[in-house]
Amino acid sequence: MDEKVILIVDDEADVIAYLSAVLDNYDCRIYSADNAEDGFRKAAELKPDLICLDIMMPKESGISLYTKLRSTEKLREIPVIIISGVEQAHEFDFFKFVEDRSVPPPEYYFEKPINVDEFCGVVDRLAFNDLEHKAKGDS
Amino acid sequence: MNGDLLRNSKMESWFCKELFEQVPFNIAVIDRDYNIIEANKNFADYFGDWHGQKCYKVYKNLNYPCLGCNARLTFEDGKSRVSDESGVDQRGKEAHYVLHTAPLREHEEEPVKYIIEMSRDIIEVKNWQMEYQLLFERVPCYITVIDRNFKIIRANENFREKFGDVVGRQCYEVYKKRKSKCPNCPAERTFRDGGVHRSDQVGIKKSGERAYYMLTTSPLGRDADDIAHVIEISIDVTESKKLEKEVIEAERLAAVGQTVAGLAHSIKNILMGLEGGMYIVKKGLKKNDNKILEQGWEMLERNFNKTTSLVRDFLSFSKGRLPELEMVDPNELVDEIVNLYKDVARNVGVELVADLDENIHKAPLDPKGIHTCLTNLVSNAIDACRMSDRDENEVRIRAVDKNGTLSFVVSDTGTGMDSEIKRKVFTTFFTTKGGEGTGLGLLTTRKIVKEHGGSISLESSKEKGSTFRMDFPKNRLNTLYKEGLSKSGESN
Repeated sequence: MDEKVILIVDDEADVIAYLSAVLDNYDCRIYSADNAEDGFRKAAELKPDLICLDIMMPKESGISLYTKLRSTEKLREIPVIIISGVEQAHEFDFFKFVEDRSVPPPEYYFEKPINVDEFCGVVDRLAFNDLEHKAKGDS
Repeated sequence: MNGDLLRNSKMESWFCKELFEQVPFNIAVIDRDYNIIEANKNFADYFGDWHGQKCYKVYKNLNYPCLGCNARLTFEDGKSRVSDESGVDQRGKEAHYVLHTAPLREHEEEPVKYIIEMSRDIIEVKNWQMEYQLLFERVPCYITVIDRNFKIIRANENFREKFGDVVGRQCYEVYKKRKSKCPNCPAERTFRDGGVHRSDQVGIKKSGERAYYMLTTSPLGRDADDIAHVIEISIDVTESKKLEKEVIEAERLAAVGQTVAGLAHSIKNILMGLEGGMYIVKKGLKKNDNKILEQGWEMLERNFNKTTSLVRDFLSFSKGRLPELEMVDPNELVDEIVNLYKDVARNVGVELVADLDENIHKAPLDPKGIHTCLTNLVSNAIDACRMSDRDENEVRIRAVDKNGTLSFVVSDTGTGMDSEIKRKVFTTFFTTKGGEGTGLGLLTTRKIVKEHGGSISLESSKEKGSTFRMDFPKNRLNTLYKEGLSKSGESN
């Protein structure tokens, strides 16, 4: 199996450091971007197996990047985990941020600070074991 | 006129007849029994047919002589009199006229047999008087007329209703419950220079409530050197002040919700950083790798500092207090900031310049508050320059006193902002500095400026730089200052 590629997009250097340290336990290459524009460029270039994405970033938001990814033919199947400090009453309501109902919600949402075990479980499923998802992506 | 004309008796009689008919008065001649024995055309036009009638019937439609009849007195003592009279005109409508009664006799020693009565309609003047009276009493303003001893000699209904029975009392006692004349009394200035003066005032109604009003004092007198009275007209703005406060309160409550959400977001980010630091420290310990350990420790330190600055900024933002105003020199405040930041600026290649207006006067400001505002604006401006691609940048601070407004202007040649960022800069927790900023600086600045009754505005264009301008209307600063003084006076 090829080495997996994971892209972290967050404007906080500490979040990138933290997630990189966690993902370092996996056999994968980790890339990061500190803004949405650079994130999109790297996503298009690297075609990662998973993107960890923050919502609140200066200039362009993570939601804007997410909708761009989902509307780009070659990138729309990449699983995305949104990791954000945006307050949610109970569970993540994606359509609070995106009015366009045709945009599918992200694969997973984490509120900061993350639970490392739960995060690793999701990374396992989305980037390493989720064969069904990968099959979709390959088709 | 040449006196020769009347020497001819025929001409004299013709002249008297013409005069009698053409003079712009109603003229009637009555005998001692009040019979009208002659009247001119004007009289007939005004009062109607008079032939064979008593004067009281024609003038007032009465069947008996008037009480206090001036004609009777003139018949008795031969002296002329003038009086204001009300009667009935030929259409049966109320008539107001001035009446002159004069004896008609050839020699002064003769008893008065006839009287000539000359009257002139004054209904228009009466109407004006009524209009004026109505206007004076009912206009939704406070109106008082005061004399040179500051004694109220007239007050309108609205004023009496809110301030009580005030005629004869001193204006300062009535308006402000003071025992002596107010400092900077606008009425005194009007007495002195004959000019119209406007000012914002705070008084106390008879109910004990505060009254906020805008006062205009105007001279009442024949000319500027002879001002016997001053008329004080005020518009009560207490209700609009209350509404203004309610709107501010509603905005404040909305801001609290927004603030709590923003605060939670910031705390979560810091927690994530602390947790990340702990995770990396643990990893370093496990692997016995000092480099990893150091990375984790730095992360912990950084996020600990972020917590400190968030708490500090949040506390200064949440302080809900009135500015503590004192008379300060705006140039000194600017100088203080320049001294504080010039080295920091120079280290990142930014020249910090102060443009001082030498003619600027001291103004009532909260020095600590303005210091915080200038600190925020100048440190933002230096950051904007630091992030710019240009090698040489400049931050300029100006204090300007123009057209009744004191302004502090901070401009930079830094990165500038696009319209999206300009729209967001004054919202809670918005920052373009990533983890370095708390997103509270400009919000705190705007809050302090508003507490001073001022406003803050921003001009910026991408890659060219930004200018933040804090404007403080001096009349509002003075009102706040006076309020502050009177409050501290009350608490003493």
